[in-house]
Amino acid sequence: MALLAQVAVNSLIAGATYALLGMGFTLIYGTVKFVHMTHGVFAAMGGYMVFYLVKSLGWNMWVGIAVGIIVAGLFGWLSEKFVYSSLRRRRASTLVMFIASLGLFTALQSFIAILFTSQLQTLPESPFGGRIWEIAGTAITSTQILIIFVTALVYVGLRLFLDLTKFGKAVKAVSDDEEVAKIVGINTERVVSFIFFLGSALAGLAGILVGFDTGVHPTMGLLALLEAAVSAIIGGLGNLFGSVIGGFLLAFVENFGVMKIANEWRGAIAMGVLLLFLLFKPEGIFGKR
Amino acid sequence: MEYLLHLFVLFAVYAILGIGLNLITGFTGLISVAHAAFFGIGAYTTALLTTELGMNFFLACAAGVGVSVILALAVGAILSRLKGDYYVLGTVSFSYVVLGVLLNWEELTRGPLGIAGILKPSFFGLSFTSTLSFALLSAAVLAGVYFIARFATRSSFGRVLKAIREDEQAIGVFGYRTFSYKLAVFALGAGMAAVAGSLFASYITFIDPTAFNVMESIFILAIVILGGLANLKGTLAGAAFLVLLPEALRFVGFAPDIAGQLRQVVYGLLLVFLMLYRPQGLIGEYKL
Repeated sequence: MALLAQVAVNSLIAGATYALLGMGFTLIYGTVKFVHMTHGVFAAMGGYMVFYLVKSLGWNMWVGIAVGIIVAGLFGWLSEKFVYSSLRRRRASTLVMFIASLGLFTALQSFIAILFTSQLQTLPESPFGGRIWEIAGTAITSTQILIIFVTALVYVGLRLFLDLTKFGKAVKAVSDDEEVAKIVGINTERVVSFIFFLGSALAGLAGILVGFDTGVHPTMGLLALLEAAVSAIIGGLGNLFGSVIGGFLLAFVENFGVMKIANEWRGAIAMGVLLLFLLFKPEGIFGKR
Repeated sequence: MEYLLHLFVLFAVYAILGIGLNLITGFTGLISVAHAAFFGIGAYTTALLTTELGMNFFLACAAGVGVSVILALAVGAILSRLKGDYYVLGTVSFSYVVLGVLLNWEELTRGPLGIAGILKPSFFGLSFTSTLSFALLSAAVLAGVYFIARFATRSSFGRVLKAIREDEQAIGVFGYRTFSYKLAVFALGAGMAAVAGSLFASYITFIDPTAFNVMESIFILAIVILGGLANLKGTLAGAAFLVLLPEALRFVGFAPDIAGQLRQVVYGLLLVFLMLYRPQGLIGEYKL
C-alpha cells in the first residue's frame, strides 16, 4: 500500500515535469506545425545557465533563474528569427523544418557538452531548500512540491493569457489558420516569434526545475524533448489541457510500468505508449482531426 | 599506414550505413531515425553468435542480416501507416525500444557492459586479423553493397521508389502497391545496416548499447543529407567527410573528446545551412 502511494506520488512529480515541457512544446507546435527538436535542448540550456551563473559565478539564485529562463526563451526566439521563419516564408515542407531543427539540436547539445563536459552536474540547492516531507508514508522533497506547484501556475497563467487577452486570441487564430489570420490583419510573424520565446522560456524553466531535482547533463535535452513530444501527442497536439493530461498519463504508465521490471525500461515504455497512440489514435485524447 | 587503414574501415562501415539509409530516405523519401537500431541488431547478432556459439563470422553476419530484415518487415509494416513527422517519431520510438532491449535483456546482451572479445572473421583458413586484410574485406563488402544499391536504384524497382517519393498517390493510381515497395526498400536498407553492424562488431571486437542510440541515427542521416539525397556517390563523400573530420580536428590540436563534440557542432550547423540554402544536399538530386 505504502509502495503504491509512493509510486503515485512519483508519477505526480514526473507528470508535472512532462506537462510543463509538453505545454511549451504544444504551444509552438500549434502555431508552426512541425516537431521542433530544439525544444529539449533549450531545457538543458536553462538548467546549465543556473549551474554556471549561480554555482560557478556565485550569482544570486533568483537572478540566475530569471536569466536562465530568459536565455532559453531568447535562443528559441533567435532560432525562429534566423532559421524557421525563412524556411516558412519559402514554404519548406515540415520534414525540411524538422531536419533543420535536428541540426540545431545536435549543434547546441554538443556545444553545451564542450563548454561544460558531458558529466552529470548538480545544481545548488533550490530556493526552497532540499527538505524531505513525509506525507502519509510517502516521501517528497520541497523541490518536487515546487515542480507541481509551478506547473499548475503555468497552466492557469497560460489559460488566462490565451483566453482573455487579445494577443492570446491572435495566437489561437494563427494556430487555426495562419493565412486567414494574416488576411484579417494579424501580424503573424510577431505572434510566432513571441510564441517561440514563450514556449522555449517554459522549456528553460522546466530544465531548471529538473536540474534542481536530478542535476543537469548535456543529453538531458533529447529525453526532455521526447517526454514533451509524447505528452503533447497523446494529449492532442496544440491542446494545452491535453498536454497536461498527456504528461500525467505518460508518467503514471511509466512509473507503474517499472514497478515490476527494471527502471531502465522507462524510455522503452514511453516510446511504446507513443507508438500505440500514433497507430490507433494519432489525434490524441483531446485532439480534433 | 595502420592508422589510415583503420580510418578506411570506419569509413566503409559508415558508407554502408549511409547507402542503406539513402535508399530509404533519398530515393523513397522516408526519413528514418531508426537506422542505428538495425546497425545494432546486426552487430549484436554477429557478436553473440560468434562469441557464444563460436559460429563463423560470415554465417553470423548472414544471420544478423536475416534478423534485421525480418524485424524491418514487421516494423516497416506498422510504421508505413504513419506519415510525415509522425513517421519520423515512430522510427524514434522503435530505436528506443531496441535500445531498451539491448540495455535490459541482460541474460542475452549483458546490458550496459556490452560484449567483448568478438572474433575476427576467418574463411577456409584465411583469417582477417590484420588491419590490412580487414580493410580489404570491408572494401569488398562496401563495393558489393554499393553495386547492389546501384542496381536496385537503376532498375524498374528504383524508378517506382522515386515515383513514390515524388507523388505516392499518383503512382498508386497506376496500380503499383506502394506499401510493398516501401516495405521492401526499408528491409533492404535494414539488411545493409546489419552488414555494417557485423563488420563494426568484429573490427572493434567490443560493442555496447550506447554505440547504437538515436544520436548515431542522426549521424547517419547527416551523412546522407550532407552528401546528397538520392546520390550514392554523395553518400560516399559524406561518410568520408564526417569520419575524417574529427581526425582533422585532432590534427590541428583539439583534444579527442572535444574533437568528437566539435564534429557534431559542425554537422549540426551544416544541416541547418543545407536546409536553408540547399535542401537536396551537396550533390543530391532530390529536395526534401
